[in-house]
Amino acid sequence: MKKILAIVLTVAMVLSLASFASAEGFSGEIKVWVAENVVDFTNEQVEAFKVANPEYADMTVKVEPVGEGDAANKVITDVESAADIYGFAQDQLGRLVKAGAIEEVEPENAKVVEAENDAGSVGAVKMGDVMYAYPMTSDNGYFLYYDKSVVTDPTDLDKVLADCEAAGKSFYFQINSGWYQVAFFFAYGCELTYDTDSDGNYVKLNTNYNSDKGVTALKAMIEAAKSPAFQNGSSLSTATNVAAIVDGVWDAGAAKDLFGDNYAATKLPAYKGVQLSGFGGFKMLGIKPQTDEAKLAACDALAAYLTSGDVQLARYKAVFWGPSNLAAQQDPAVQEDVALAALGAQLAYTIPQGQYPNGYWTAAEGLGDDILADKLDDADDAALLEVLNTFVANCEAAMAQ
Amino acid sequence: MTDLDYFKLSKPQKMLRGLGSFFTRLPKGIANGLKKMAGGFVSLFKGIGNNLVDLVTTFRDGDWKTRLSYLIMGFGSFARGQWGRGLLFFLFQTVFNVYMFMPNAEFSGCYYLGKLSTLGTIETYKEGRKTIYGDNSFFILLYGVLTIFFILALIYTWRVNIKQNKISEELLKNGHKLKTTKDDLDSLRDSQFHKTMLALPTLGVTIFTILPIFFMILVAFTNFDATHQPPGKLFTWVGWDNFNQLLAMDSASYGDTFRHVLLWTLIWAFFATFLNYFLGMFVAIMINKKGIKLKKMWRTILVMTIAIPQFVSLLYVSKMFAADGLINTFFMKWGWITEPLPFWTDPVWARITIIVINIWIGIPYLMLIATGILMNIPADLYESARIDGANAFQMYRKITLPYMLFVTGPYLLTSFTGNINNFNVIFLLSGGKPLSLDLAGGAGHTDLLITWLYKMTVNDTNYKLAAVIGILVFVVTAVINLIVYNMIPSVKNEEDFQ
Amino acid sequence: MSDKNKIPEVDIVVDEAAGVIREVKPENLRSKKGHERRINTTIYVALILISIVWLAPFVFLVFQSFRSYLTESGAMVNYLLPKQWSLDNYVWLLTDPSSDFLRWYSNTIIIALFCSVLQTFMVLSVSYTLSRLRFKGRKLIMNVVLVLGMFPGFLTMIILYFLLRQLGLTQTGAVPGLILIYVASSGMGYYISKGFFDTIPKSLDESARIDGATRAQVFRMIIMPLAKPIVIYTVLMAFMAPWGDYVFASYVAFGSKPNYNVAVGLYQWINVNDYQGYFTRFCAGGVLVAVPITLLFLALQKYYVEGVTGGAVKG
Repeated sequence: MKKILAIVLTVAMVLSLASFASAEGFSGEIKVWVAENVVDFTNEQVEAFKVANPEYADMTVKVEPVGEGDAANKVITDVESAADIYGFAQDQLGRLVKAGAIEEVEPENAKVVEAENDAGSVGAVKMGDVMYAYPMTSDNGYFLYYDKSVVTDPTDLDKVLADCEAAGKSFYFQINSGWYQVAFFFAYGCELTYDTDSDGNYVKLNTNYNSDKGVTALKAMIEAAKSPAFQNGSSLSTATNVAAIVDGVWDAGAAKDLFGDNYAATKLPAYKGVQLSGFGGFKMLGIKPQTDEAKLAACDALAAYLTSGDVQLARYKAVFWGPSNLAAQQDPAVQEDVALAALGAQLAYTIPQGQYPNGYWTAAEGLGDDILADKLDDADDAALLEVLNTFVANCEAAMAQ
Repeated sequence: MTDLDYFKLSKPQKMLRGLGSFFTRLPKGIANGLKKMAGGFVSLFKGIGNNLVDLVTTFRDGDWKTRLSYLIMGFGSFARGQWGRGLLFFLFQTVFNVYMFMPNAEFSGCYYLGKLSTLGTIETYKEGRKTIYGDNSFFILLYGVLTIFFILALIYTWRVNIKQNKISEELLKNGHKLKTTKDDLDSLRDSQFHKTMLALPTLGVTIFTILPIFFMILVAFTNFDATHQPPGKLFTWVGWDNFNQLLAMDSASYGDTFRHVLLWTLIWAFFATFLNYFLGMFVAIMINKKGIKLKKMWRTILVMTIAIPQFVSLLYVSKMFAADGLINTFFMKWGWITEPLPFWTDPVWARITIIVINIWIGIPYLMLIATGILMNIPADLYESARIDGANAFQMYRKITLPYMLFVTGPYLLTSFTGNINNFNVIFLLSGGKPLSLDLAGGAGHTDLLITWLYKMTVNDTNYKLAAVIGILVFVVTAVINLIVYNMIPSVKNEEDFQ
Repeated sequence: MSDKNKIPEVDIVVDEAAGVIREVKPENLRSKKGHERRINTTIYVALILISIVWLAPFVFLVFQSFRSYLTESGAMVNYLLPKQWSLDNYVWLLTDPSSDFLRWYSNTIIIALFCSVLQTFMVLSVSYTLSRLRFKGRKLIMNVVLVLGMFPGFLTMIILYFLLRQLGLTQTGAVPGLILIYVASSGMGYYISKGFFDTIPKSLDESARIDGATRAQVFRMIIMPLAKPIVIYTVLMAFMAPWGDYVFASYVAFGSKPNYNVAVGLYQWINVNDYQGYFTRFCAGGVLVAVPITLLFLALQKYYVEGVTGGAVKG
């Protein structure tokens, strides 16, 4: 009996030692890159993290402002001086994995992420079967902001355009972006996705853009772009004459300021009876590969904390970023948000954004610019199909890059 | 004044004739060039041969001090009392040896030199969740190149060291005295003053221009891109593949796009140079005309565009021309147009807009230059032309223009090649947009080779193709320079101006 | 330029002198005078139009910078005059704790000051040596520089970045790093000041040499005092250049916001989506950058003109 007790005690001791070892903490420096407007928020949360996890109390965390659009590029250029944890939009994940500039999510944390976040975001942080990043928001989609005093019926694009034209104002839609363009293509039943393996390689392109459906969608875009009220753009900061704009939640504050009492937001309109679709995208936190295991553990703990349900909710309350965490999404504050409600309404028609190579975005910008240059205005169906064939060929070639 | 003589002889067609004679001379020129190159090779090998022979004879005829210097650099100088030179030679050799054979092999020259042929073979791997980085191809290439530079420098210095021994021996044999270290130091302020003055600039240029260019030329022959990104991934040599990808005409390559971008680059450079040139001269003539008052004020207003940093002025102007920018808004408000003008969305419009805005940037420079030169035209030339009954336009054509063209010939050349690489105007105004499905590789209709190169470097981290584009820009610039050098006599001889 | 009397006025129009010689009748002379006046009027109109086009963007920029971001909008708008004039943007730039503008500004001043001293030293060394001294390898050096100059500058951006990183001079070390890069290869831009040195008579050096002066003394005591215009020109150019560098500065300093220069800091405000409504701040920042540089430039304009004119003529 005593012997058994001794063994049990020894085992317990070893176990506690072991668990102690795993929580031995880290006292070096961790650098974090997030968008400028959440730097202060992130600093506050880091302090909270240190209080909640005393083993990391001595750690120095440096939060620097690097936009989500830039971060991946910088990390790929020089991974050694890049931040240990960085926020980015999902379209960059493939490049990061391919360049070996992002670490897999710790397996235990991966299970938690999988259980607590919405399905779209979980799919977005994976390449093949491997999870590479912590989902942070589920709001990277777009919908319609409009001026109630100008736009009378936001459900029909033709009417939106007519109202804008009558008021001498403009409807903004960024047609030369692969991200916004799909609103038309997907609406008309097209698809364009890539299959990836877990090393970040694109193995297959699934698309039916070069079909009658694609031609119909393209024709709709060309027709809409012909309207005098149509403007290319998606940023309230540079749009000078807005009555309606297809934009995301990050511009909610600017839209409220601009439209004042006439501020309104809703799902995208329908065009000639077809409800516009779109991408539902996500923002996430990635960790760069580490040569020090203790530091990696610290990064994992911090990234998991910064993307946990509570922090996502707090982030919503601070800067209105819509959470990907299921529990946080149920919070009444989130449920009542006008912009997020519009996003939610649009959600039924959107397609969760998968992985796309750089070449897709370039091809889409080229297609959009061609539309804006009125190059396709007089093209017949056969010519448009030819254009889409080129487009698909470019998307195909993009897989090798 | 040689240029004046030339000008008196010259006619406006001189340039054209020069062009014609250039092409008729071309075959002969190429033959001459080849002959010169062959001659160069011959003399190079002869030189090496002579040096080798000299090395042997110096060793055979030299005393023990000289012979020991073959092994220990600077020994002879030391032994003959020139400790300053000896110390420098010896230090250089010591630094070299330490660098090449450092005990910590990871940092030694030999290590990098050995890996240069493969650019690294050890892959990055995982130990548990920890990442163990393997070879870093980037630094292998960088330090490999550095090591080669170092070795060449050592061979040269070693050779100088032996030559020094030979000279010293001869001087002593003939009963002369050797220079002391103090003499050497003094000479750095006098007969060797150029060495003092050029030491720092040469070092700077070698490390921060020559070494990087050499490195990037080599990168053009590797597969260094987003999917072969050190330290996570290795890259390696691929021969001429990248040149193929950029120049070949099949659908997977960028040949069409490259030609398109190159053509626009040349068109742009032509207009940016000559349009600004003539308009700038015109404005200068207006301001400097007799009877026009407030000359200084007009000039000051114009040079504002030079003074204000371009990232402020051009970025702002670019926004002014947007589809919903100030220009379009006001034009529509005044009823001049009903639809926004497609300044940045239509390829042809975008190109014209850029050329026009560039006039805004470029005229002031030319106005200043032309003002300076116009003042130097001897007034009696106009006087005598006037007596002959020439009118204003004739005088401009017969006197002002040829004179300007002659003295600013070299400037036109540098300005043209400068415009080929005029990054700022394109980058800040249009960013190379609009793109098109017809163009590959992320290039847009207003992209110059240089902005395309920038996009490849920064947006796509596609360094291999960026390097190829860089080399091709060099080729284009060099060809243009060669042609013009053969056409304009005033570019050739720098001493003529003194 | 400084001395107005020296300017021979270039007269492309036939004036009275020609008329007198050809003995035109008085009425013809009068019509010639009328002709002359018409031409001058046309030129004045043209110059006024040109001035408007040249100044308008800057005036607009100043207008926008006075638009309040609090009561109106910090974004781009489609009207010109602020509805309410205010100093909001300037106050924000200079005093707001979340604004790094002053930091960026002083970074840029530091870079510009160091560059103007060190770069001038490099350029003058090279140009003087290549102009006045004759030694073996002189032609070779000039040809090598010519060839190197034909490679586009941004080609080597990535490797320069890593060279600096090896020295610890990126991100937080960006300011000294940029100074190093700007200065290191600046000797290659020797053409213009070499052209200037070429014009100083050689007899000056020779007589001093006969009196026993060393070459270093000739440089210090004889040439430098004469070289004031080109020194000022070189300093001015070296001082102005760093203000406009966005591309390399952003590459070197990325992520480290306190170490940006003004160009990088301001550029992101209108080109990165995270900065909504920073447009008027960009304008205000642009004004704060442009005003001192412009004043400095205008004050030293004379030397600039001498430099570019000489440079254009000498190649």
